[in-house]
Amino acid sequence: MNVTRVLVANRGEIALRIIRACHDEGLEAVAVYSDADRSSPYVRAADAAVWIGPSPAAQSYLVVDRILEAAAQSGAQAIHPGFGFLSERAHFAKAVEAAGLVFVGPPATAIQAMGDKTEARRRMQAAGVPVVPGAMAALDDPAVAAELAAGLGYPVLVKAAAGGGGKGMRVVRAAEDLAGALVSAASEAQKAFGDPAVYLEKFIERPRHVEIQVLADAHRTIHLGERECSIQRRHQKLLEEAPSVAVDPALRERMGAAAVAAAAAVGYRSAGTCEFLLSADGSFYFLEMNTRIQVEHPVTELVYGVDLVREQLRIARGLPMTVAPGPLAPRGWAIECRITSEDPANGFLPSTGRITHLRAPAGPGVRWDSGVDTGDEVTLYYDSMLAKLIVHGATRTDAIARMERALHELVVVGVATNQAFHLRLLADPAFRAGDIDIQFLERRADLVDRPAPPDLVRRLAAAAALAEHERRQRQKPAVTGDGNGASAWLAQGRREGLR
Amino acid sequence: MKYLVSIANQTVEVEVDGDRVVIDGVAHAAELRPVAGTPIQNLLLDGASWIIPVEPAGRGRWVLQRWGERFEAEVLDERTHHIQSLVGAGKAQTGPAALKAPMPGLVVRVLVEPGSTVAAGQGVAVLEAMKMENELKAAGPGVVDAIHAKPGQAVEKGAVLVSFRPVA
Repeated sequence: MNVTRVLVANRGEIALRIIRACHDEGLEAVAVYSDADRSSPYVRAADAAVWIGPSPAAQSYLVVDRILEAAAQSGAQAIHPGFGFLSERAHFAKAVEAAGLVFVGPPATAIQAMGDKTEARRRMQAAGVPVVPGAMAALDDPAVAAELAAGLGYPVLVKAAAGGGGKGMRVVRAAEDLAGALVSAASEAQKAFGDPAVYLEKFIERPRHVEIQVLADAHRTIHLGERECSIQRRHQKLLEEAPSVAVDPALRERMGAAAVAAAAAVGYRSAGTCEFLLSADGSFYFLEMNTRIQVEHPVTELVYGVDLVREQLRIARGLPMTVAPGPLAPRGWAIECRITSEDPANGFLPSTGRITHLRAPAGPGVRWDSGVDTGDEVTLYYDSMLAKLIVHGATRTDAIARMERALHELVVVGVATNQAFHLRLLADPAFRAGDIDIQFLERRADLVDRPAPPDLVRRLAAAAALAEHERRQRQKPAVTGDGNGASAWLAQGRREGLR
Repeated sequence: MKYLVSIANQTVEVEVDGDRVVIDGVAHAAELRPVAGTPIQNLLLDGASWIIPVEPAGRGRWVLQRWGERFEAEVLDERTHHIQSLVGAGKAQTGPAALKAPMPGLVVRVLVEPGSTVAAGQGVAVLEAMKMENELKAAGPGVVDAIHAKPGQAVEKGAVLVSFRPVA
């Protein structure tokens, strides 16, 4: 089908990212928006915009029929789902195809095969991809779960079968905590994915989270190296980098080959990511495949010189990928910091409000992928990620210095952000040495929340006192220094009159 | 003019005197200059340049930010501070602090019942916001006096969810 117009079934930062890629490809982009997003920057960036419902995602971004109606209404021939929302729902991909439209992503069958995590494990084992030991069957009966957990040995991990992004996931270290974790994980899974099914696996202590980017067109399936995403809090990634300090070219080829095999096993097309746990001894275990573009895709783009979203758009239109055949290697180092409206000083609780001012970092080697601008309201309806700050440098040290510079340039006023956390992390000797794993932040509460240093408090107190003093001076009727109570305006007038 | 600034759980004495400030007894050259069209102030303190967003939040109250962290400050002149401390002096603390919603959200579960005893740090209620469930913990030990919210209820920031009385 001749595609000239692409509907972006998402919001915020990733919607804007996809709209830009459409324009770079010479395609028109259609935005969809809920009530809360009418004033979002991505709506203005699109060539057309369609209202799809009230603010809650369940009544807008998650409603398949509204998205399809919007596509029909706006004359779009293709739909890009972004990440989250409907991106990994096989029934959505099917519905898009049934409506005679192009789904910018993998075939529905591949989404289905990878989406059911227990089914995916079976398939991966069959394809020779190493997996974490675990209980393959989804669990309904707590007694059965307790037996399985005892068999695996504690600690175990409770995971949502339909999940991703850390929702519906719990680490259980002792048998007596299992029942509670199953209930709360199932409740979170139900809310996040509409499916309460959970399963169990062996929890591997101190592994790194290393994932492989895969790209597949009708002719070739290739990998674009790894991203290290070990810096996580409550299973939410906060900082990602490419390449990984723990991966040398030989390991990259082994992990890459496993990821390509995983993709091939489900007939994958488009961009996708195989997540692995990498243990200190170099053994790695397949976790899951994300059958969509990932939040952290820009770090791969920077070190491989590939625009993954444009490749997705090309592949969806039946064109070959532009990546030339032959050996590939990462160039330099890229780091991404997720800028979230969370208040680290307040237990990382979400911070809402109006962004009264935003100054984005710029300059050499800096990329700012944002979904918000000055004047925007940060609401509780959606994810707390405001933007992604991505830098590229010649070496890891160089990239860290550049990220510190960029974080110092960034000013967001009106809501709290996690900028100070990122600065503490980047300055930490263990982080700088690359000595990280997925439990790093769990051990380093001092990085997550640190009381403001005394010199900062004194400086802020001085600024507050000066601001208050200034305000009082402005409010007070101005008085001349002679003590007569005459207006300063009069005094000035007199002085000028004398000239 | 001498001010007492309450910020980050402490009180800092700041005397503003022309182009200098005396912070807790130490004098510094200081100038605050707004960045036009923004809530940002550029503070020059002994020649060092600092970018500090400063927003008014009502009488004598300011919200300052530094690299995303927000700090609420209350600035009182010496006289007002003195009067307030005299008025507040007779007030006795009454019982353990109630659990308030730290943000707007949806009450998912209440983990305690009236009459149950909680320890400091014990989970009391679960509040959902931005798709995440956040467990709210008791600030100190207490006995649950009353529960003011039920599962499924949307609450505003600052709403009292559970109140406590002292452990007998």
